[in-house]
Amino acid sequence: MELSAIQAVGAIGAPERKAETAAGAEPPDFAKWLEQQVQVADREIRTADREVQKLAVGESDNLHQVMLSLERARLSLDLIVQVRNRLLEAYQDIQRMQV
Amino acid sequence: MSGYLDIFDVSGGGMRLERVRLETAALNIANAHTTRGPDGTLFQPLRVVARAPAPSFEHALLEGASLSGASSYQVEASGVQPRLVYDPGHPHADAQGYVAMPGVNPLVEMTQIMTAVRAYEANVKAIEAARAMAQRALDIGSR
Repeated sequence: MELSAIQAVGAIGAPERKAETAAGAEPPDFAKWLEQQVQVADREIRTADREVQKLAVGESDNLHQVMLSLERARLSLDLIVQVRNRLLEAYQDIQRMQV
Repeated sequence: MSGYLDIFDVSGGGMRLERVRLETAALNIANAHTTRGPDGTLFQPLRVVARAPAPSFEHALLEGASLSGASSYQVEASGVQPRLVYDPGHPHADAQGYVAMPGVNPLVEMTQIMTAVRAYEANVKAIEAARAMAQRALDIGSR
């Protein structure tokens, strides 16, 4: 009696695991994308930093270019931060789930 | 995100052009009363001739549209006749007592300054709009 009850649980668990391996190719792609975006944001921030340094030492006379690169850096960072916020929210939603 | 950053480049190109126009107008006004340049000839009033950016073939083929802000421009002499001022005592006066001065028209230069500043502001507005759009998009669903 008891055994058959547990077997039913195992039957539910088995196909689930199969689906997991089939979809296993997806998560690394997202991680790669996130890493790529982080690198893009990092590059933008470095560019902005270099532009500001150039302006400070008087090498650059292009004020609007400096401001544009700063804006670019801010937007790239904002995107990363928002993606991170959504991920964390989703994780916390699942964490709070009543089992 | 890159679409919004493309707008930055486009408007940045426009801002660069307007700055050059302002520089040229300032140079013309600054030299309006010079009678000799560093090379001994009379200063020629300058003007900016800008050309809209030509889309690269590859870009047009792949993207279908041209999003490039780097408009090409040339600063060239406007070819206005010099203004003759009667001043016999001037060291650069000719045999009749006339001094040649650059044919800078203050009215034209002031108009150039005004339009350059306004167009610069318009480019800044476009950038701010692009930034606001991107920011609004990032605000979707935020709690």
